Amino acid sequence: MKRAYDLPPKGALARLDPWPWLGTAAFFTVVVFVAWPLSELALESFIGQESQRLGFENYATFFASSYFRRALFNSLTIGALGTFIALCIGVPLAFAYARFDFPGRDTIEVGILLSMLSPPFVGAYAWILMFGRSGWVSEFARGFGIDLPPIYGAFGISMACAFGLYPLVFLVVRSGLARVNRSLEEAAYSLGRGRFGVMFTITLPLVLPALLTAALLVFLGVVSDFGTPGILGEGERFPVLATLAYSLYLSEIGAEPGMAATTCMILLAITLVLVLGVRFLSSRRSVASDTASDLALRALAGSKKWVMTAGVALLVLTANMPTIVVVVSSFLEVRGAVFQPVLTLANYHNAMAAMGNALWNSLMLAAIALALIIMVGAGVGYYISRRSGLLPRALDLLIMVPFVVPGTVLGIGYARVFNEPPLLLTGTYAIIAIVYVIRRLPYMTRSCAAIVFQIDRGLEDASLSLGRPPLAGFRRIVLPLMRPGIVAGAAIAWVEVFSELSASIVLYTGPTRTLPIAAYQQAATGDFGMAAAYSTVLVGIAATGLFIFLIAARGRRDRVVGWV
Amino acid sequence: MNSGPAPHLSIEGIVKRYGSFTALDGVTLSASRGELLTLLGPSGCGKTTLLRIIAGFLQPDSGEVSVAGRSLNKVPPNARNLGMVFQNYAIFPHLSVADNVAYGLRARGIASSEIARRVADALARVRLAGFADRFPDALSGGQKQRVGLARAMVIEPELLLLDEPLSNLDAKLRIEMRQEIRLMQRELGITTVYVTHDQEEALAISDRIAVMDRGRVLQVGSPRDIYEQPAHAFVADFIGGCNWFEGTVSNGELRLGAGPRLACSAAPQTARLALRWEDLRPAMQTDPPQHCLAARVSIVSYLGHRVRLHLRACEDGTELHADLPSYGELPAEGTIALFAFDPQRARVFATDGKRLL
Ligand SMILES: Nc1ncnc2c1ncn2[C@@H]1O[C@H](COP(=O)(O)OP(=O)(O)OP(=O)(O)O)[C@@H](O)[C@H]1O
Ligand SMILES: [Mg+2]
Repeated sequence: MKRAYDLPPKGALARLDPWPWLGTAAFFTVVVFVAWPLSELALESFIGQESQRLGFENYATFFASSYFRRALFNSLTIGALGTFIALCIGVPLAFAYARFDFPGRDTIEVGILLSMLSPPFVGAYAWILMFGRSGWVSEFARGFGIDLPPIYGAFGISMACAFGLYPLVFLVVRSGLARVNRSLEEAAYSLGRGRFGVMFTITLPLVLPALLTAALLVFLGVVSDFGTPGILGEGERFPVLATLAYSLYLSEIGAEPGMAATTCMILLAITLVLVLGVRFLSSRRSVASDTASDLALRALAGSKKWVMTAGVALLVLTANMPTIVVVVSSFLEVRGAVFQPVLTLANYHNAMAAMGNALWNSLMLAAIALALIIMVGAGVGYYISRRSGLLPRALDLLIMVPFVVPGTVLGIGYARVFNEPPLLLTGTYAIIAIVYVIRRLPYMTRSCAAIVFQIDRGLEDASLSLGRPPLAGFRRIVLPLMRPGIVAGAAIAWVEVFSELSASIVLYTGPTRTLPIAAYQQAATGDFGMAAAYSTVLVGIAATGLFIFLIAARGRRDRVVGWV
Repeated sequence: MNSGPAPHLSIEGIVKRYGSFTALDGVTLSASRGELLTLLGPSGCGKTTLLRIIAGFLQPDSGEVSVAGRSLNKVPPNARNLGMVFQNYAIFPHLSVADNVAYGLRARGIASSEIARRVADALARVRLAGFADRFPDALSGGQKQRVGLARAMVIEPELLLLDEPLSNLDAKLRIEMRQEIRLMQRELGITTVYVTHDQEEALAISDRIAVMDRGRVLQVGSPRDIYEQPAHAFVADFIGGCNWFEGTVSNGELRLGAGPRLACSAAPQTARLALRWEDLRPAMQTDPPQHCLAARVSIVSYLGHRVRLHLRACEDGTELHADLPSYGELPAEGTIALFAFDPQRARVFATDGKRLL
């Protein structure tokens, strides 16, 4: 019998399964832009700075020098202290949000996410404005004859980092708590445990993996941060590994690339040990039941709920203080290094005059990088979560590496490898766009892989059976369903890319200077008013972008899946 | 084995292993053009696996699927021109009902006016005419299943694969849909492979049935053959209800314990005899026929169109059933009654399940 409809004739293209090819291409790209620079650095760290011979000479030099040892010690100190502070802020907030209902919940939550927006070095700068030598809080206290302890050094850096990173703790621990089945807690209550007994015997052990992950993320963030210790460490006085590597590499009085590579490797070793340690610890404790408990939040009685609101609001307000201070200061007149209570736009005039093409560069580079991150990340996320075999696993692993590699390390690696043919990229826009993409791709692949995992494979089979080639089915069926994951990943990637400092500061040249670099340079050495203006523009644009993503994500029919 | 001269769909020696587990163990089947072949078997016997191999979603470890004499082994699923209804529906959640149904038509580049007409027609056939603009999350399980059916049938495929397409419908709708599928499949002459574990559905809808167990096809035949001439003890047991008796074959006869004897020419061995529930008839105590047995009636269940007696054989306490017409006189619970059977209706199987008689 004659069929009413025939499939369009199939070319070779429709028969081809494109994913292995795309996966292979992605793999080799990542090898070039992740594995190559890092192995080059590793190799260089073993080539003696003085003797040019293979061996441990640089490592010996490193540990023989009290200055270098101090940088290592300082890094570990701010890492631990910053993590502790971020946990102190983030964990109570997570508990409050996962378990209780109180007035103003949603509004305050926006505040928490806002503190993620400003890069830590902007916060660091705000601390100087408040508690620095001529900060207004310090001046104010001095008026009463009180000398506040100096903000420069370990405590200030840890605080500034923690205030920028506690939202990570909040997000991770809250989703961990949401996954703890509430009936377990109820069972413990029914067996006669009190509230604290349940907390310590049931809830905490169950969210321990989430807590560990959160702590790891914060620690990595603190030790990799370049801007905050750059501003609050006053250069040589409080060296940390990230700033040390940078100055060793770019020092005007004789760069020591071998020692820079060694410092990078030591920094990398710290992060790797931590990542592996946390993986080991949480794999031995994978007890969380994954049946999400969608139980109603506990409503608090009478005045208790207002106490909760006030407490949460105060915490979030404090955490946002640095950003608020910077924004307000940007509109104040500066005389010397002191802000006057006079409103003015002079800072913005000066900032714009000295801007060059930094703003334009940032917008353009971030947009290009984001587009690449979305395209590559969605494809790779799909590939690694749908296909099994060696290649997808290797790609998954390799693509996650930059997630734990400090930006300075990656930047120095790029500067070493891409400064000669075959890939001569130094000084170009491309190298900055690439380092943006490579550093933030993990957010997108993770976010997409997680959501693809929840999409029924049968849908793709159905699409195939109805006559669509694999790529068409991906575009029409899978991609629309991945949308929430893509938007979530892109939102984070946007903020992170637009304020990226630690790798780009190694790689930029005059014409490719970006807005975060301009803001950092002014904050570290230049005009306080202009720094505040740059930072405000930076945070404002990052926020606007995030806002657009949130609008894009809302009002859709699809389920919204959180990032973590 | 083919009913037609040249099979349209032919499946040759398919083997599929998952690790050390063999899901399909040398399946050979064929269907002539326009035939409806049903795969019937218990849960986990490999029905879905076989269907997915025919569709091209799974590659067999060995064996070959061909349609109209052309091997499909190297043809990707999207070029096989088949319609499939998935066991878990696989309705695209972000597309409306109408867009779901139109999906395959669009892939075929059909004009949009034609698509609209076709979609409306297909939705009417599955009794979802008013649902075109709904989204899947506002449909019940049975409604989703019917969207899947419309989506697969609307493209008028070369081959229709249905994986338990009616499992989630109520009894009445199931019969309606069953007829609709049969009607359309006949009208268009679409070769169809239909998977079910509902024996009544299989008997009602199929041209031929393939009964599967643990990755093997035990028997292929018309519904009537399958029911009346089971080739394997498993087939007899799986379809319809059977009373089982242990016995031994010797000297050309089968002896069931101390009870009845039947002529049986097989070699001496132990054997099992199957007798359908409806083949046990109450007999007069006063005039016992040659083939009969005595049993105590433990429960009488009234099923509407018939009455089922739960019995316990007097001789060795074997559990038995007898299905009787629901009119007429019935033995009372607790009494002992005599039941006769026609040896022509008895089926005898070897211990390995092979049919002896
Ligand atoms: N991916 C897999 N890995 C390992 N075993 C599998 C896999 N898929 C199916 N199986 C096994 O293969 C056997 C056949 O599965 P299949 O889905 O074909 O059964 P089925 O006959 O369709 O059953 P049902 O009637 O329950 O749908 C089952 O025992 C199943 O456990
Ligand atoms: Mg199945």
